[in-house]
Amino acid sequence: MANRLNLKELERKAFRSTYQDGLWDLYIGLIVICMSIFVYRPATGYNLNNIVLAFSAMAVAYLLFWVGKKYITLPRMGQVQFGAQRKKRRLTLIIVLSIVVLIQVVLVGLQLLAWANPEVGARFSSLILDRNAMDLVVASTGALIVGPSMILVAFFKDFPRGYFIAIMIALAVFLMLYLNQPVYPIIIGALIALPGLVLFVRFLQKYPMHREEATRE
Amino acid sequence: MNNRAGSANLATLAAIDRLVHEPSRLAVMALLYVVNSADFIFLMNQTGLTWGNLSGHISKLEDAGYLEVEKTFKDKRPNTMLQLTPQGREAFRGYVKKMKQVFKDFEG
Repeated sequence: MANRLNLKELERKAFRSTYQDGLWDLYIGLIVICMSIFVYRPATGYNLNNIVLAFSAMAVAYLLFWVGKKYITLPRMGQVQFGAQRKKRRLTLIIVLSIVVLIQVVLVGLQLLAWANPEVGARFSSLILDRNAMDLVVASTGALIVGPSMILVAFFKDFPRGYFIAIMIALAVFLMLYLNQPVYPIIIGALIALPGLVLFVRFLQKYPMHREEATRE
Repeated sequence: MNNRAGSANLATLAAIDRLVHEPSRLAVMALLYVVNSADFIFLMNQTGLTWGNLSGHISKLEDAGYLEVEKTFKDKRPNTMLQLTPQGREAFRGYVKKMKQVFKDFEG
């Protein structure tokens, strides 16, 4: 039989269909663009405005994602609740990501320690010969934290496009930190968002808004 | 195939649950078997059935006690959530088991 009716495959297909609106791709693409614009090292040094602008832009991106899901795609896609297996995977992802965040907090803590205490900072710096090498280490560390984290998300959330996004995000973080040129991550963010935009348009064409629910009984 | 085996096969066929056997209802039951619950629109999109068609099949499954239909309001809009009852899950499992047996018997 060419098309075997496999229940596991059926569940996976139903689960993956919830990503077919492209909103996750658009959201992640926008986040990368937001990061590119605001969280790079300005010549004048970091200041509070950069951070405020970055978080504000990310909040706007999330708001767009939330509004899109709630008012545009979910009413067309329908609601579904998956079984215990999916919940277990989600819980595992939360635990694993918490560990990753903990590692990031330790790294940021070390960085803050180096800033606050020039003596410790000098000791860190002495381990690496020059400024370029330091940038390379920071950029590689950032990419190695963000990329594998997204791979974990893609794996546990059964989101195949997530692997492509993981590679792109790792590249964006690396370029953002190493070259300090926002143009590369902006291009990468657009490359992540573009398939999402195509999917979103196709989704809207394929799934019209259902009015019958309101009139049923 | 001897007569006894043939009769046995036919008896198995006759015992197939016709309510589940109908392709559209089978699609609905298979989908609801692998998820916890889903609403009307999700089922419609996944099965490719029309509103009226799906509504008819849902009513039959609900009457048989295989489906639980919960009507709620979400953001002031009506929402119909559907879930297989334990009886429905058992009926689906029984159907799969019987069909497997039928094809196994056919292959000899």
